[in-house]
Amino acid sequence: MLEAVVEPRRREILRLVRVSEQTAGAIAAHFPDVSRPSVSQHLRVLRDAGLLHERRQGTRRLYRARVEGLTEVRAFFEEFWDSRLQTLKVEAEREQRRQDADRKNH
Amino acid sequence: MPTGKTTETTETIVREIDIEASPETVFEFFVDPDKLTRWLAVEATLDPRPGGVCQQVHEGAPGRGPYHMQGEFLEVDRPKRVVFSWGFAEPDVGVSPGGSTVEVTFSALDAGTRVRLVHRGLPAAAIGDHPGGWTVMLDRLRTAVSGS
Repeated sequence: MLEAVVEPRRREILRLVRVSEQTAGAIAAHFPDVSRPSVSQHLRVLRDAGLLHERRQGTRRLYRARVEGLTEVRAFFEEFWDSRLQTLKVEAEREQRRQDADRKNH
Repeated sequence: MPTGKTTETTETIVREIDIEASPETVFEFFVDPDKLTRWLAVEATLDPRPGGVCQQVHEGAPGRGPYHMQGEFLEVDRPKRVVFSWGFAEPDVGVSPGGSTVEVTFSALDAGTRVRLVHRGLPAAAIGDHPGGWTVMLDRLRTAVSGS
């Protein structure tokens, strides 16, 4: 449950800092429903995972995405097909049962 | 001698799943729009013969999409095998129309079908690694974030 909430936020943060470097404050401002410590925690996890580059400027911290850490097309479609094929299985098996039942009734 | 240009490499995905339904039943889920929209896409226009259109509208994550898959059927051998091209009108997906192919084979089992899906020709690049695509994606993300 927690993972499901956390993971999309981290992806959103990555996309926010893909084009331009942003301060922690600017990133947090994009998530009005998330507490500042929680945003800091996301940034720390992403940085430790090698997905974010962190730079200090005076008292501010600036972040940008490390391009090489972004999701690859292949990884994206692996997840895509895994989830779609599971749905295909459920739907095709339901369809087969329906057709078998129809045949029995005729 | 380095040319300064990244070598074009592609990736392949292979997936297999066993389904308790006949090959005929499962095959229809790839070529009948009413059935394809139960598992793969929200809308579909399909003309299942070589050269026929294979167009699908996919829902993106909340605040993103829809994404338009503009493919073409390359081989149709009912109920054993179907091959179609796979690519999207939206550049931020990272796979342009005609950019990759999906080959699906259906083998009969004692009680069902083994479906083997091979997705070839995917670019070895990051999702959204295109300047225009990222601008579009960021706009969508801003909408999604402010709307939540």
